[in-house]
Amino acid sequence: MSRFFRRRKFCRFTAEKVKEIDYKDIAVLKNYLSENGKIVPSRITGTKARYQRQLGTAIERARFLALIPYCDSHHP
Amino acid sequence: MRHYEIVFLVHPDQSEQVTGMIERYRTLIASKDGKIHRLEDWGRRPLAYPINKVHKAHYVLMNIECGQETLDELTSAFRFNDAVIRNLVIARDEAVTETSLLAKSKEERDESNRRSAAEDVVGEAAAVEDEEVAETPADPA
Repeated sequence: MSRFFRRRKFCRFTAEKVKEIDYKDIAVLKNYLSENGKIVPSRITGTKARYQRQLGTAIERARFLALIPYCDSHHP
Repeated sequence: MRHYEIVFLVHPDQSEQVTGMIERYRTLIASKDGKIHRLEDWGRRPLAYPINKVHKAHYVLMNIECGQETLDELTSAFRFNDAVIRNLVIARDEAVTETSLLAKSKEERDESNRRSAAEDVVGEAAAVEDEEVAETPADPA
């Protein structure tokens, strides 16, 4: 397994020194959603715990306002 | 006095009422010595999922500074207004005044639409010029 080179994952928000994750920034939030609309765990994305919590609330707010879907199979 | 960020969604059929509603809320906040630090009209946007069998909604964002009384009045106004299909109130630490990303992206989209339209006009003009150039050598002959 470790024979293959795997790119080291890093926390984007720590690198950019983000003050607070904005729920209106859909483009950023979409990077942390899987194809079916679930939040991707931080163990996969490498987001720091502090930012993962912020990300969670931001995504929930955006979902409440119907900016991003809750799941991929909403009733039409 | 505290800072709040409010987003509310208006039924698309009642989209014309939005300006009146904003005006009403503005006077309500002003009458209680509150302040509006940011007011954005995102216009009609498609929803990610249908709410009350509606697929589009008119979004309005405002960052205000007001007391508890005013906020209660605002939220009850949202609750008893049938045109408002959803509203979100968040407490903020300070006044936010810069334009939000969604409003910005909307502006850019408008701008690019305008720019592409302008480019079309320029393109046509260039085409006309080409024709003229093609015609001129024919004249002396």
